[in-house]
Amino acid sequence: MDLVRHLRYFTVVAEELHFGNAAIRLGMAQPPLSQRIRRLEEELGVRLFDRSSRQVRLTEPGRLLLDEAREIIARVDRLRDLAGRGESEVLRVGVPPDLGSSVIAALIAGFRERSPEVRPAPAEMWSADQVLALLDGTLDVGVVRHPVTAPGLSFGPVLVQRPGVVLAEDDPLAGLSSVHLADLAGRRLVLFPREPGLHEETLAECRRQGFVPEEVHEAQTLGLVLAGTAVAFGPQVALPGLRWRPLLGSPLAWRISTAWRGQAGEAAVAFGAVAVRVLKENAGMTDDGAAPERRVRTRPASGFLA
Amino acid sequence: MTDLEALFRTAGVTGFLHAVDVDTGAEIAHRADDPVVTASVFKVALLVEFFRQIDRGRLDATERVTVMADRHTAGPTGVSVMADDVTISLRDLAYLMMAVSDNTAADTLIGRVGLPEINAMLASFGLAGTWVEHDCRDMFSSIVEDVGQEEMPTDPALIARLRVLDPARTNRSTPREMTRLLGMIWRDEAASPASCAAMRRLLGLQVWPHRLAAGFPYDDVAVSGKTGTLPTVRNEVGVVEYPDGGRYAVAVFTRSYGTAQNQPRADAVIGTAARAAVERLRD
Repeated sequence: MDLVRHLRYFTVVAEELHFGNAAIRLGMAQPPLSQRIRRLEEELGVRLFDRSSRQVRLTEPGRLLLDEAREIIARVDRLRDLAGRGESEVLRVGVPPDLGSSVIAALIAGFRERSPEVRPAPAEMWSADQVLALLDGTLDVGVVRHPVTAPGLSFGPVLVQRPGVVLAEDDPLAGLSSVHLADLAGRRLVLFPREPGLHEETLAECRRQGFVPEEVHEAQTLGLVLAGTAVAFGPQVALPGLRWRPLLGSPLAWRISTAWRGQAGEAAVAFGAVAVRVLKENAGMTDDGAAPERRVRTRPASGFLA
Repeated sequence: MTDLEALFRTAGVTGFLHAVDVDTGAEIAHRADDPVVTASVFKVALLVEFFRQIDRGRLDATERVTVMADRHTAGPTGVSVMADDVTISLRDLAYLMMAVSDNTAADTLIGRVGLPEINAMLASFGLAGTWVEHDCRDMFSSIVEDVGQEEMPTDPALIARLRVLDPARTNRSTPREMTRLLGMIWRDEAASPASCAAMRRLLGLQVWPHRLAAGFPYDDVAVSGKTGTLPTVRNEVGVVEYPDGGRYAVAVFTRSYGTAQNQPRADAVIGTAARAAVERLRD
């Protein structure tokens, strides 16, 4: 068996704690993924996941092996990177993990087509980590969410994403065609980790519209949403057990752009152009400024000194 | 956590409440002595002093005044939004001030009654925590100065700058003092019996159904009250009268965590919390 590849499957399932989500991220069907995890368990002689309950959980041995597995994968990646260097120029690219595998695949494919002489080395990283990596030179170009405050970074054209809300399918709001932010009052919220600027802006807008989440969880996956204990914002998803609904009035505007440090190299410029096209065509993003101004429609009963 | 605390929290607000049986003095208190921003609830104090001056013959309730269309105070209702000059009696201005919280009507009456006189009346009643700092026009100017726009802000950063949300710097009271003033109106102690009856009538003509009244959805229960509204502030004080003769003065002041103007749950909790308190008084 290809142990490294199986360990890769294991880390993705461990991150998602959901075989369906992990399969989508890996671009494969769920049954072969389950089968490969079982084979890995046989190979190692331990059970990695507890699948007895409705939720998938890491077992204690699974938890212990996860860090080791990540270490092995990182080393193998580095080995391949080192081996590949000298053959061709490498562009180290950061992308937010939530963009989804199909968008990330389109980014890479588009870049390969445009700059076949450069090998892209993509890494899924949240904006805060990308900014650090750009500043210390371990990343050549990133795709970051705004607002970002980092002196020395330059940004490509800003695109806007209008997220909707992801709900558990049995949430009463899932019966509506669109959901207003105020309808979410009393619910908990899942936001991406390591996106501080985005958090602050999103929570301020929620508050302005009457939604103050009881709790804000930072999580990479939609497990809490699936369990019915929280809602999340994001692009349209079609996953069993979940419903996506547009937000009435499109109140949230998530801005995204490429970012680099200092003078952008030729490859980074090429990647930026591909990113703008792919994010527009494959992720439904639009040019900044296309966002309509929000208007407060005042009512007598809630007006000044009513 | 008390059940009131839980009710308020579920609605996304901090709540301040006092409920008292007008006849026995039995009471329910929840942060009842905290200073609170009255917003338009201060108009009850203005109403009381207006009628006391009528009792003394200093004002004539039927005197007609003309309110010029270009001299309006900002506001969403009544004369404040009318297009033309209005000639109207002082007592009908008092009606508009109580029924729809008309700010221009209130400021016109303040012009006749006087802020110092209102505060002197409050002091003479022993309501030391109640103070009318400014009229509606000055309150509006203070907001415009603080945020640089005439629209009521919903941006949390702008709202944080508003001086009119600080009880120390604006019209203020406490839940307990407001129920005391209402009790005096209902027991004919705030002014002459005829004037107290007129005040009760006006408080009973308020049109808003979404706060205090929402907690008592019964044809045979009377709810009289006065609301108060500013960004994040939703208040109502009033008297609830049951078919068996029980009458309860209730004051509910809230501050919402969210900054949206429309927050029906925050409006409704004023009624549900008042109801819970009155139920406990009737136990």
